Amino acid sequence: MPEPLLALEAVTLLAPEGRTVFHRLDWKLARGARFHAKGGAGGGCTALLRLCAGIAEPDGGRVVLDGVPLKAGVPHPFLQRGLLGWVPSDGGLAVNLSLLQNVALPLRFAQNHGRAAAERTALDWLEQAGLGCQAHQRPAVPGNRESWVASLVRAAAKGSRLWLVDRPAGGLDADCIQAAERILGQAAQDPDVTILLVGGAWMSSLGLELTIGNGRVFSGREP
Amino acid sequence: MPERLACSLGAKVRHAFALLGSVSWLLGQCAQSGLRLSREQLRVVWEITRTQIRFTALDALPLCVLTALLLGGITLLQVFGQLSAFGAERHISQILAQLVIRELGPLMVGILVISRSGTAMATEMASRKLSGELDALYVNGVDPIQYLLVPRLLGGVISVFALVIVFDTVALLGGFLVAWLRLPISFTFFLGALGEAIGRQELTATFLKCLVFGTTIPLVCTSFGLRVKRSTTEIPQAVTKASVVSLAVLLLSGAILSVLIYA
Repeated sequence: MPEPLLALEAVTLLAPEGRTVFHRLDWKLARGARFHAKGGAGGGCTALLRLCAGIAEPDGGRVVLDGVPLKAGVPHPFLQRGLLGWVPSDGGLAVNLSLLQNVALPLRFAQNHGRAAAERTALDWLEQAGLGCQAHQRPAVPGNRESWVASLVRAAAKGSRLWLVDRPAGGLDADCIQAAERILGQAAQDPDVTILLVGGAWMSSLGLELTIGNGRVFSGREP
Repeated sequence: MPERLACSLGAKVRHAFALLGSVSWLLGQCAQSGLRLSREQLRVVWEITRTQIRFTALDALPLCVLTALLLGGITLLQVFGQLSAFGAERHISQILAQLVIRELGPLMVGILVISRSGTAMATEMASRKLSGELDALYVNGVDPIQYLLVPRLLGGVISVFALVIVFDTVALLGGFLVAWLRLPISFTFFLGALGEAIGRQELTATFLKCLVFGTTIPLVCTSFGLRVKRSTTEIPQAVTKASVVSLAVLLLSGAILSVLIYA
């Protein structure tokens, strides 16, 4: 059996107020898998994404990404190579950089592209997402939806192998949905790309349904 | 009650050591990460360092020049009053030079940098941390220490050096202007006296103080900014602590260096 790209081994996670979000959770994400996760508010969807990205540290157990455990403060080779596409609900873009610079930054920093080449690639991707004319604006100007789409563009431009996509804050309009579908659809054409998407009923065709709730993660609907 | 009392004993000392530990850890991380930078990463870091220098040094120039000019003139007025009582006005330029170069220059520049840039750094780091920007950078392959801390450290050291040079020059010129109004001294005489007053000790002291202040101010301020956890109400508290602690560190390290060099 091939090694999973991501494995949660007996992971326990407590919420800041002390509530148990996951208790000794074992879950694996195979390479090339695509999941479309659903769960109620506070059910642990975002917490699962944060665990998978190494942003949230488990209170027990461990998270293994590409064969290497994620540890706080220890650089992880998968992350250092810019192979993880992290799209949080607010986009997570640097507010002092333009959309173009935000997309180009990981290309330059993690993948050693020259400035001109990185910005050319970034602009190509932003144009594909319909954000070409807003490329030189900072994230606050176009707004939250566009920032979230730009964050998807950032994940696409650096050729992410694992996409962890949270639902956008405040929902998306028709244009942004179309842009997001186009970018995610393009990424999904590569059989090696693994995608875990939270929310977004518009992307239900992307892959299997994953239900997160009551401290458990199910493939398909909750039994 | 006795347990609480016992716990509070030495709490301030423990906090001081914890701060020293966290600042030293940050410095070590910056040095380690700085040495690992690739060529393209260095270019990115240099771009941010340039922005940092522009904000910390270039934008602070008007305030720095005004402070230096006034301080140089006022110091000379005070010193002149004392010296003229003993008929020792001829030594005025030497005393002014030593006072400004040894103590006032680095100290005033340090205070300016804390009030303008240190507080800004603490606020920026705290907001970036609360908004999840630091996490996003890290997960997307951009090491926040390399991308955010190394440029601030480099920018801090270069800016403090540059500002101290400007401050000292302007303060001495301001002092000369006041002296020239009161005494029959020429600019050549003033420069000659300055040359005699500035020796290896003064240059070493200035160099060391610039290095220490330029390093500690960004480190202490970013360290406090990075300590916020959940709420935006923590930001002003972090900024206040950052400025107070970095001012205390500035005064303490300045005094220690002066004692070590001149005592």
